[in-house]
Amino acid sequence: MPSSPTVHIEAASTLAVIVSSNEPLLFLSSDLKVIAASATFCRVFEIDPVSIPGRSLSDLGDGEWAMPKLQSLLRATASGSANIQAYEIDLKRADRPTRHLIVHAQTLDDGDTHHIRLLMAVNDVTEARAEARLKDDLIRDKAILLQEVQHRVANSLQIIASVLMQSARRVQSDEARGHLQNAHHRVMSIAALQRQLSTSLGGQVELRAYFKQLCQSLGASMIADPDRLSIQVTADDSAVEADVSVSLGLIVTELVINALKHAFPDERNGVIFIDYQSSGKDWTLSVTDNGVGMPAGSDAPKAGLGTGIVTALVANLKGEITSVDASPGTAVTIRHVDNTTVAVRPSKAV
Amino acid sequence: MNNGKAVVLIVEDNTLIRMGAVDLVLSVGYEALEAKHADEAISILEQRDDIDLVFTDVQMPGTMDGIKLSHYIRDRWPPVKLMVASGAAILMENMLPTGTTFFPKPYDDLTITLEMARLLAGDGPLILSA
Repeated sequence: MPSSPTVHIEAASTLAVIVSSNEPLLFLSSDLKVIAASATFCRVFEIDPVSIPGRSLSDLGDGEWAMPKLQSLLRATASGSANIQAYEIDLKRADRPTRHLIVHAQTLDDGDTHHIRLLMAVNDVTEARAEARLKDDLIRDKAILLQEVQHRVANSLQIIASVLMQSARRVQSDEARGHLQNAHHRVMSIAALQRQLSTSLGGQVELRAYFKQLCQSLGASMIADPDRLSIQVTADDSAVEADVSVSLGLIVTELVINALKHAFPDERNGVIFIDYQSSGKDWTLSVTDNGVGMPAGSDAPKAGLGTGIVTALVANLKGEITSVDASPGTAVTIRHVDNTTVAVRPSKAV
Repeated sequence: MNNGKAVVLIVEDNTLIRMGAVDLVLSVGYEALEAKHADEAISILEQRDDIDLVFTDVQMPGTMDGIKLSHYIRDRWPPVKLMVASGAAILMENMLPTGTTFFPKPYDDLTITLEMARLLAGDGPLILSA
């Protein structure tokens, strides 16, 4: 015998909460009839609020919500056998672009187990997804552009290096050839940094790897017999800003060129040691060789461009340079002591 | 070989870099040939059978880049030695035919001529440690 349907009246406050929610919300009965919809839902999905109460979900609008998969998931949720969390669907409407939605649904837990009702939140993530895709595209474009720039820089440095070496092979004077070769070494020193930067993150340069690459490049172009002369690099795990590393790399370049040229005359064997250690903001760079030592007095070579470059760069790094007879050989040390720390200490003691 | 001189073909689209490479090859006593792109290189290889080594750039205009060119040469003229240089930061050596040596740009002249001498002497490729 058909009994008259039990009319279940929702509390006015419940309906008011649903309607005034900022979320696009639907409040559904277990047979997927709409009890209430939030004003936000109606606005976002262009549905007349007056037409809503009592309608089937599948009859909303022009029937665009009659998605079989969604319906079956909602029924399963109502029966307690499923829970919809972040279910993604496409809302397709005539004459409108497809919207990408994320649906959450759960049964309303208000203690009334005889009347199962569903709360369904529908978020339109079309714009957010498009933005994320755009961002991904931009990141990819940026990476490609960066690679392209690095490629161009490498090619430009190759042009400069090629032209310098062609001039060096053509000039008659040994002195001029030496200058051109030095210019070439300086270009290669910057190129080693460029290569190091292209593999580094955030513009920080790891000094050990950079110095090793730099010395390998200097050795490759200046040491004809690697059994006779070698360059060894030891450094802690310091990483520094790119512009600091340019200065440090050029200082090492000049000092190594100098040692290779003057410390090992007459086919003398030897090693050049490069070391870098830091502690807080203080650091020490040293270039030591076990060669013949520096000639003094009237035999001392007059300061060239290399000396000028080293002096200027050391000053720029706020460092102090000392050069001592290491017997055998010469030890050049550049030390930077951070003055801000020194200045603070006495005031703390007071 | 041509009159006892090793013959090296330089493939490079940049005029100044190509000039520099030709000059370098001549300075160590080899004969130098030059091509601006892969197609020109292939037509030179078809015309001459005395080319011992090809030293090529990677990014070049035309139908093939230096990587494709090196594979093409290895297939068609297997005895020809191959050296590849590129300014691209990331270039896997395993993209190249075995026995090909890769040099990042800017390359050092002495490194290039030493490797040419070794390859031309019939040694295997130089294993460069990182």
